[in-house]
This record gives sequence, C-alpha cells and structure tokens, in this order.
Amino acid sequence: MMDFGELRRILAAFEREGVRYVLVGSMAMAAQGIVRATRDADFFVAPDEDNVARLRRALKSVFDDDPNVDEITAADLGGDYPAVEYTPPHERYSMDILSRLGEAFRYEDLEAEDVNVEGVRARVATPRMLYRMKKDTVRPQDRLDAETIRTRFGLKDE
Amino acid sequence: MGVRKFRSVEEMKGQPPLRPLDPENLRIACALSSLEKLAPVRRSPGVRKFRSVEEMSRQRDRNAAR
Repeated sequence: MMDFGELRRILAAFEREGVRYVLVGSMAMAAQGIVRATRDADFFVAPDEDNVARLRRALKSVFDDDPNVDEITAADLGGDYPAVEYTPPHERYSMDILSRLGEAFRYEDLEAEDVNVEGVRARVATPRMLYRMKKDTVRPQDRLDAETIRTRFGLKDE
Repeated sequence: MGVRKFRSVEEMKGQPPLRPLDPENLRIACALSSLEKLAPVRRSPGVRKFRSVEEMSRQRDRNAAR
C-alpha cells in the first residue's frame, strides 16, 4: 500500500540528490490519467555508478538509513540484474528499480515528461513510451494496459 | 446532485477522463492501493535481484497467490 506523502518524499529525495530516473509502470499510467489499483512503484534508472550512488542516498534519506539499500549496486543493475526489488523496513509496498527491459529499452531510450507533485518535479514516462513498454510483454495485464493507453491517447498501433 | 434518468445505458456518460499529468492522479492511485488490504501480499524487507523483469513478475505473482 503506497502512501501519497511517502511517494512525494521519495520523489523529492530523487530530485534533491539529482537521481536520473523515470517513473514507469502502473504508477506512471496513473500520472497520465489511467488509474487502477496498484501495489508498488516502478522506477527506471540510469545504471552508472554515480547515479546509483545518488539513488542509494535518496532512499536512505527516506527510509531511516536502511542498510539494505547498500545492496542496490551499479554492478548489478548494469550487469546481470537489471531488475531489483526494494521493500522498505515497513513492508507496506515495494518498489522496482529497473535499468533495462529486455534488449529493447534502456534508460537512454525512455521518453519522459515532468509532472509537478506539489512542488516536486517528477519524471514520468510518456503515454507512447508506456505503450511501447507494455505492448509486447507476456503479462496479460500489461497487454491490457497497452490497449487502454493506445485507445485513451489515440496512439497508432505499432 | 439528485436523481438523473436515462432512456438507455448509451445515454449515460461515464466520469470524464482524468487529466494527464495532474498530480491529483497520483493521490488517487495511492488511495486505491489501500485496496491491497483485501488481499494482502506477503513482503519481507530488503533487496531482491532478478535477471529480468519477467523473472521479477513471476516471483511477484507467486507471492500474491500465497
């Protein structure tokens, strides 16, 4: 269960530390106006050492210096583990930290735009980007999401 | 608003779509996430690493099914 105040604190910490990230997944769909029940937040990040260090600092500042955050490394994200799940100590939700999606998407490939969340600048994937990311996955929910995005934003079938 | 009557379902307009990039959308999404209380997911704190998003999704689906 995601708390809006905490989500805003995470986004504020990302902004303060200069994390290069894009909000993707169902929370990004929500930001784009397609809201459905979701359990977590997904962040696509640049997997270089500097950025992942910024990410760790940001998360530690929100989650009371949680030592588990140190296990999020650039070596993993840029190497064999492009998908990392972090669950904060309170266990109310988890966040997915992604550095690539198959061979098709890397951080540099993402189209994003800003949303102002009560004074905090958040980077959110564009509808077209979300559509592309979801349309060819194996999960039925993703394909359903893709069709919803395509219809809502009048996107051409790709 | 009181009672409104329609001659067909087609006449009934649904809620207008939410405006893209309205920060209020995130607040709504977070409020909806409280529905998880109806079917809680077991989580444990920490970091888990996956070789792909698909592997991560499969693990999540297994956790949700427990």
